[in-house]
Amino acid sequence: MDNKTFLIAGIIIALLIGVVAVFMASGDPDGLESTSLIVQGQKTLTGGTPANAEIHEDTTGKFAYQSPMPDYSLGERFGPLGGVIGIVVGVLLAFVIVIGISKVLVTKKKAKEAQTNQ
Amino acid sequence: MHIPDAFIPIWQGAIYWIIALVFIALALRWARNEMSEEKIPLIAVVAAGIFALQSFNLPVSMGTSGHLVGGALAAIILGSPFAAIFILTLVLIVQGVLFGDGGITTMGANIINMGVIGGFVGFYSFKGLMAATGNVNIAAFIAAWLACVIPALACAVEMYFAGTFPLNEGLVAMGLYHALIGVIEGFVTVVAIRLIVAARPDIVDFKIEFPAAKGVDV
Repeated sequence: MDNKTFLIAGIIIALLIGVVAVFMASGDPDGLESTSLIVQGQKTLTGGTPANAEIHEDTTGKFAYQSPMPDYSLGERFGPLGGVIGIVVGVLLAFVIVIGISKVLVTKKKAKEAQTNQ
Repeated sequence: MHIPDAFIPIWQGAIYWIIALVFIALALRWARNEMSEEKIPLIAVVAAGIFALQSFNLPVSMGTSGHLVGGALAAIILGSPFAAIFILTLVLIVQGVLFGDGGITTMGANIINMGVIGGFVGFYSFKGLMAATGNVNIAAFIAAWLACVIPALACAVEMYFAGTFPLNEGLVAMGLYHALIGVIEGFVTVVAIRLIVAARPDIVDFKIEFPAAKGVDV
Protein backbone atom coordinates (compact mmCIF):
# COMPACT_ATOMS: atom_id res chain seq x y z
CA MET A 1 0.00 0.00 0.00
CA ASP A 2 1.58 3.30 -1.01
CA ASN A 3 1.51 6.46 1.08
CA LYS A 4 -1.40 8.04 -0.75
CA THR A 5 -3.63 4.96 -0.49
CA PHE A 6 -2.71 4.57 3.17
CA LEU A 7 -3.62 8.21 3.85
CA ILE A 8 -6.94 8.03 2.03
CA ALA A 9 -7.90 4.65 3.52
CA GLY A 10 -6.89 5.87 6.97
CA ILE A 11 -8.90 9.06 6.82
CA ILE A 12 -11.98 7.26 5.45
CA ILE A 13 -11.85 4.70 8.27
CA ALA A 14 -11.44 7.49 10.85
CA LEU A 15 -14.40 9.42 9.40
CA LEU A 16 -16.56 6.27 9.33
CA ILE A 17 -15.76 5.50 12.97
CA GLY A 18 -16.59 9.09 13.92
CA VAL A 19 -19.90 9.17 12.04
CA VAL A 20 -21.00 5.79 13.41
CA ALA A 21 -20.08 7.08 16.89
CA VAL A 22 -22.54 9.98 16.52
CA PHE A 23 -25.39 7.46 16.33
CA MET A 24 -24.08 4.52 18.33
CA ALA A 25 -21.88 5.93 21.09
CA SER A 26 -23.11 5.43 24.64
CA GLY A 27 -24.58 8.49 26.32
CA ASP A 28 -23.56 7.29 29.76
CA PRO A 29 -21.10 9.52 31.62
CA ASP A 30 -17.42 8.62 31.27
CA GLY A 31 -15.26 7.43 34.16
CA LEU A 32 -14.37 10.91 35.41
CA GLU A 33 -17.97 12.16 35.12
CA SER A 34 -19.32 9.05 36.87
CA THR A 35 -16.84 9.57 39.70
CA SER A 36 -17.93 13.18 40.14
CA LEU A 37 -21.59 12.06 40.22
CA ILE A 38 -20.65 9.69 43.06
CA VAL A 39 -18.81 12.44 44.92
CA GLN A 40 -21.84 14.69 44.47
CA GLY A 41 -24.15 11.98 45.83
CA GLN A 42 -26.12 11.37 42.64
CA LYS A 43 -24.85 7.86 41.90
CA THR A 44 -23.51 4.86 43.74
CA LEU A 45 -20.23 3.20 42.78
CA THR A 46 -21.71 0.15 41.06
CA GLY A 47 -25.28 1.41 40.43
CA GLY A 48 -26.61 2.86 37.19
CA THR A 49 -26.69 6.56 36.40
CA PRO A 50 -30.11 8.17 37.01
CA ALA A 51 -31.55 9.79 33.88
CA ASN A 52 -31.72 13.20 35.53
CA ALA A 53 -28.22 13.09 36.99
CA GLU A 54 -26.28 16.22 36.20
CA ILE A 55 -22.76 17.19 37.22
CA HIS A 56 -22.71 20.36 39.22
CA GLU A 57 -19.74 22.41 38.07
CA ASP A 58 -18.65 25.06 40.51
CA THR A 59 -17.11 27.67 38.25
CA THR A 60 -16.54 30.28 40.97
CA GLY A 61 -13.01 31.58 40.57
CA LYS A 62 -12.43 29.19 37.67
CA PHE A 63 -11.85 29.92 34.04
CA ALA A 64 -14.92 29.60 31.84
CA TYR A 65 -14.80 29.08 28.11
CA GLN A 66 -17.63 28.69 25.62
CA SER A 67 -16.54 26.50 22.73
CA PRO A 68 -18.12 26.98 19.29
CA MET A 69 -19.39 23.37 19.13
CA PRO A 70 -19.99 22.15 22.69
CA ASP A 71 -20.46 18.38 23.00
CA TYR A 72 -19.51 17.82 19.34
CA SER A 73 -22.76 19.23 18.06
CA LEU A 74 -24.28 22.38 16.61
CA GLY A 75 -27.10 22.43 19.15
CA GLU A 76 -30.50 20.78 19.18
CA ARG A 77 -31.72 22.58 16.06
CA PHE A 78 -29.35 20.55 13.87
CA GLY A 79 -29.80 17.25 15.72
CA PRO A 80 -27.66 14.31 14.61
CA LEU A 81 -26.59 16.16 11.44
CA GLY A 82 -24.85 18.71 13.66
CA GLY A 83 -23.07 15.84 15.39
CA VAL A 84 -21.91 14.42 12.05
CA ILE A 85 -20.67 17.85 10.92
CA GLY A 86 -18.89 18.32 14.26
CA ILE A 87 -17.08 15.01 14.16
CA VAL A 88 -16.10 15.35 10.48
CA VAL A 89 -14.69 18.82 11.14
CA GLY A 90 -12.82 17.51 14.20
CA VAL A 91 -11.30 14.47 12.49
CA LEU A 92 -10.23 16.48 9.44
CA LEU A 93 -8.84 19.29 11.59
CA ALA A 94 -6.79 16.90 13.74
CA PHE A 95 -5.50 15.32 10.52
CA VAL A 96 -4.63 18.61 8.80
CA ILE A 97 -2.96 20.14 11.88
CA VAL A 98 -0.78 17.07 12.44
CA ILE A 99 0.22 16.90 8.76
CA GLY A 100 0.89 20.65 8.70
CA ILE A 101 3.14 20.70 11.76
CA SER A 102 4.92 17.51 10.68
CA LYS A 103 5.63 18.93 7.22
CA VAL A 104 7.01 22.14 8.69
CA LEU A 105 9.31 20.15 11.00
CA VAL A 106 10.53 17.89 8.18
CA THR A 107 11.15 20.86 5.86
CA LYS A 108 13.11 22.64 8.61
CA LYS A 109 15.16 19.52 9.25
CA LYS A 110 15.95 19.18 5.53
CA ALA A 111 16.96 22.84 5.25
CA LYS A 112 19.24 22.44 8.27
CA GLU A 113 20.82 19.29 6.84
CA ALA A 114 21.37 21.00 3.48
CA GLN A 115 23.04 23.88 5.29
CA THR A 116 25.40 21.62 7.23
CA ASN A 117 26.31 19.71 4.08
CA GLN A 118 27.42 22.82 2.25
CA MET B 1 -11.03 11.47 31.53
CA HIS B 2 -11.04 14.94 30.00
CA ILE B 3 -10.93 17.29 32.99
CA PRO B 4 -13.19 20.34 32.54
CA ASP B 5 -12.16 23.86 33.64
CA ALA B 6 -14.45 23.75 36.67
CA PHE B 7 -12.58 20.82 38.25
CA ILE B 8 -9.16 22.43 38.91
CA PRO B 9 -8.31 25.87 40.37
CA ILE B 10 -6.57 28.11 37.83
CA TRP B 11 -3.26 28.24 39.74
CA GLN B 12 -3.01 24.46 39.86
CA GLY B 13 -3.94 24.28 36.18
CA ALA B 14 -1.05 26.67 35.48
CA ILE B 15 1.41 24.33 37.23
CA TYR B 16 0.22 21.39 35.12
CA TRP B 17 0.49 23.57 32.00
CA ILE B 18 4.12 24.44 32.80
CA ILE B 19 5.02 20.76 33.26
CA ALA B 20 3.10 19.87 30.09
CA LEU B 21 4.95 22.57 28.11
CA VAL B 22 8.29 21.00 29.01
CA PHE B 23 7.10 17.68 27.61
CA ILE B 24 5.56 19.36 24.55
CA ALA B 25 8.96 20.96 23.83
CA LEU B 26 10.61 17.53 24.14
CA ALA B 27 7.94 16.03 21.87
CA LEU B 28 8.59 18.71 19.25
CA ARG B 29 12.30 17.95 19.48
CA TRP B 30 11.51 14.25 19.00
CA ALA B 31 9.36 15.10 15.98
CA ARG B 32 12.09 17.28 14.47
CA ASN B 33 14.71 14.54 14.86
CA GLU B 34 12.67 11.43 14.12
CA MET B 35 10.10 12.64 11.64
CA SER B 36 10.60 11.75 8.01
CA GLU B 37 8.54 12.29 4.89
CA GLU B 38 7.68 8.57 5.03
CA LYS B 39 6.24 8.72 8.53
CA ILE B 40 3.95 11.74 8.09
CA PRO B 41 0.98 9.73 6.70
CA LEU B 42 1.21 7.31 9.64
CA ILE B 43 1.29 10.07 12.25
CA ALA B 44 -1.59 11.93 10.61
CA VAL B 45 -3.76 8.82 10.23
CA VAL B 46 -3.09 7.77 13.83
CA ALA B 47 -4.09 11.28 15.01
CA ALA B 48 -7.32 11.27 12.96
CA GLY B 49 -8.11 7.73 14.13
CA ILE B 50 -7.52 8.59 17.78
CA PHE B 51 -9.74 11.66 17.46
CA ALA B 52 -12.56 9.57 15.97
CA LEU B 53 -12.18 6.71 18.45
CA GLN B 54 -12.18 9.13 21.38
CA SER B 55 -15.71 10.15 20.41
CA PHE B 56 -16.90 6.54 20.44
CA ASN B 57 -18.03 5.87 23.99
CA LEU B 58 -18.89 2.27 24.75
CA PRO B 59 -20.88 1.22 27.83
CA VAL B 60 -18.86 -0.54 30.53
CA SER B 61 -21.77 -1.23 32.95
CA MET B 62 -22.41 0.59 36.25
CA GLY B 63 -23.94 3.49 34.34
CA THR B 64 -20.59 4.41 32.88
CA SER B 65 -18.99 4.49 29.45
CA GLY B 66 -15.51 4.92 28.10
CA HIS B 67 -13.49 5.21 24.94
CA LEU B 68 -9.97 4.69 23.64
CA VAL B 69 -7.49 7.30 24.84
CA GLY B 70 -4.76 6.27 22.42
CA GLY B 71 -1.54 7.11 24.28
CA ALA B 72 -0.27 3.54 24.16
CA LEU B 73 -1.34 3.11 20.54
CA ALA B 74 0.52 6.21 19.35
CA ALA B 75 3.65 5.42 21.39
CA ILE B 76 3.81 1.75 20.32
CA ILE B 77 3.12 2.26 16.63
CA LEU B 78 5.54 5.20 16.32
CA GLY B 79 8.18 3.78 18.63
CA SER B 80 8.36 6.62 21.17
CA PRO B 81 6.42 7.98 24.14
CA PHE B 82 6.99 11.43 22.63
CA ALA B 83 4.88 10.45 19.63
CA ALA B 84 1.97 10.03 22.04
CA ILE B 85 2.60 13.46 23.57
CA PHE B 86 2.85 15.05 20.11
CA ILE B 87 -0.39 13.49 18.84
CA LEU B 88 -2.44 13.67 22.05
CA THR B 89 -1.52 17.33 22.59
CA LEU B 90 -2.82 18.29 19.14
CA VAL B 91 -5.95 16.14 19.55
CA LEU B 92 -6.65 17.66 22.99
CA ILE B 93 -6.21 21.20 21.64
CA VAL B 94 -8.82 20.57 18.91
CA GLN B 95 -11.18 18.87 21.42
CA GLY B 96 -10.84 21.60 24.04
CA VAL B 97 -10.90 24.67 21.84
CA LEU B 98 -13.51 23.59 19.29
CA PHE B 99 -15.73 21.21 21.24
CA GLY B 100 -15.29 22.11 24.90
CA ASP B 101 -14.23 18.52 25.62
CA GLY B 102 -11.65 19.07 28.33
CA GLY B 103 -11.00 22.56 29.67
CA ILE B 104 -8.49 25.21 28.61
CA THR B 105 -6.85 25.82 32.00
CA THR B 106 -6.96 22.07 32.63
CA MET B 107 -5.52 21.15 29.22
CA GLY B 108 -2.04 20.92 30.71
CA ALA B 109 -3.27 18.31 33.20
CA ASN B 110 -5.07 16.43 30.42
CA ILE B 111 -1.92 16.45 28.27
CA ILE B 112 0.10 15.13 31.23
CA ASN B 113 -2.40 12.35 32.01
CA MET B 114 -3.27 11.08 28.56
CA GLY B 115 -0.21 12.09 26.55
CA VAL B 116 2.75 12.00 28.94
CA ILE B 117 1.72 9.33 31.47
CA GLY B 118 -0.27 7.34 28.90
CA GLY B 119 2.58 7.51 26.39
CA PHE B 120 5.38 6.58 28.80
CA VAL B 121 3.43 3.83 30.57
CA GLY B 122 2.20 2.45 27.24
CA PHE B 123 5.60 2.50 25.56
CA TYR B 124 7.77 1.11 28.33
CA SER B 125 5.34 -1.53 29.52
CA PHE B 126 4.99 -2.66 25.89
CA LYS B 127 8.74 -2.86 25.62
CA GLY B 128 9.07 -4.84 28.85
CA LEU B 129 6.19 -7.16 28.02
CA MET B 130 7.60 -7.79 24.55
CA ALA B 131 10.86 -8.86 26.12
CA ALA B 132 8.99 -11.12 28.55
CA THR B 133 6.36 -12.65 26.26
CA GLY B 134 7.56 -11.98 22.70
CA ASN B 135 3.91 -11.63 21.70
CA VAL B 136 2.80 -8.29 20.25
CA ASN B 137 -0.90 -8.88 21.00
CA ILE B 138 -0.45 -9.71 24.67
CA ALA B 139 2.15 -6.98 25.19
CA ALA B 140 0.04 -4.31 23.45
CA PHE B 141 -3.18 -5.30 25.26
CA ILE B 142 -1.67 -5.13 28.74
CA ALA B 143 0.39 -2.02 27.95
CA ALA B 144 -2.73 -0.23 26.68
CA TRP B 145 -4.75 -1.35 29.73
CA LEU B 146 -2.06 0.09 32.02
CA ALA B 147 -1.90 3.25 29.90
CA CYS B 148 -5.60 3.76 30.63
CA VAL B 149 -5.69 2.85 34.33
CA ILE B 150 -2.54 4.63 35.56
CA PRO B 151 -3.44 8.03 34.01
CA ALA B 152 -6.92 7.63 35.55
CA LEU B 153 -5.37 7.14 39.00
CA ALA B 154 -3.12 10.17 38.40
CA CYS B 155 -6.24 12.10 37.45
CA ALA B 156 -7.89 11.03 40.74
CA VAL B 157 -4.90 12.35 42.69
CA GLU B 158 -5.05 15.66 40.77
CA MET B 159 -8.77 15.86 41.61
CA TYR B 160 -7.85 15.36 45.27
CA PHE B 161 -5.28 18.20 45.13
CA ALA B 162 -7.92 20.35 43.46
CA GLY B 163 -10.39 19.60 46.26
CA THR B 164 -12.84 18.13 43.75
CA PHE B 165 -12.75 14.45 44.85
CA PRO B 166 -11.89 12.90 48.21
CA LEU B 167 -8.75 10.79 47.75
CA ASN B 168 -10.04 7.28 48.50
CA GLU B 169 -13.42 7.64 46.85
CA GLY B 170 -11.77 9.14 43.76
CA LEU B 171 -9.09 6.45 43.49
CA VAL B 172 -11.58 3.59 43.96
CA ALA B 173 -14.12 4.90 41.45
CA MET B 174 -11.61 6.09 38.85
CA GLY B 175 -9.64 2.84 39.24
CA LEU B 176 -12.70 0.60 38.97
CA TYR B 177 -14.25 2.35 35.96
CA HIS B 178 -10.96 2.61 34.09
CA ALA B 179 -10.06 -1.01 34.82
CA LEU B 180 -13.11 -1.77 32.64
CA ILE B 181 -12.51 1.04 30.14
CA GLY B 182 -8.94 -0.26 29.88
CA VAL B 183 -10.29 -3.45 28.31
CA ILE B 184 -11.63 -1.29 25.46
CA GLU B 185 -8.27 0.48 25.33
CA GLY B 186 -6.44 -2.85 25.09
CA PHE B 187 -8.74 -4.40 22.52
CA VAL B 188 -8.87 -1.38 20.20
CA THR B 189 -5.10 -0.85 20.49
CA VAL B 190 -4.38 -4.46 19.44
CA VAL B 191 -6.81 -4.29 16.50
CA ALA B 192 -5.44 -0.93 15.34
CA ILE B 193 -1.83 -2.14 15.54
CA ARG B 194 -2.66 -5.28 13.55
CA LEU B 195 -4.47 -3.26 10.88
CA ILE B 196 -1.67 -0.72 10.52
CA VAL B 197 1.06 -3.38 10.49
CA ALA B 198 -0.88 -5.36 7.86
CA ALA B 199 -1.22 -2.26 5.67
CA ARG B 200 2.25 -0.78 6.09
CA PRO B 201 4.73 -3.06 7.84
CA ASP B 202 7.56 -0.89 6.49
CA ILE B 203 6.69 2.30 8.38
CA VAL B 204 5.83 0.81 11.76
CA ASP B 205 8.72 1.04 14.15
CA PHE B 206 8.36 -0.87 17.42
CA LYS B 207 11.89 0.23 18.37
CA ILE B 208 12.48 -3.21 19.80
CA GLU B 209 15.16 -5.61 18.75
CA PHE B 210 13.62 -8.92 17.88
CA PRO B 211 15.67 -12.08 17.52
CA ALA B 212 16.42 -11.72 13.82
CA ALA B 213 16.03 -15.37 12.88
CA LYS B 214 12.60 -15.82 14.40
CA GLY B 215 11.06 -12.69 12.92
CA VAL B 216 8.11 -10.90 14.45
CA ASP B 217 4.92 -12.64 15.34
CA VAL B 218 2.28 -10.08 14.45
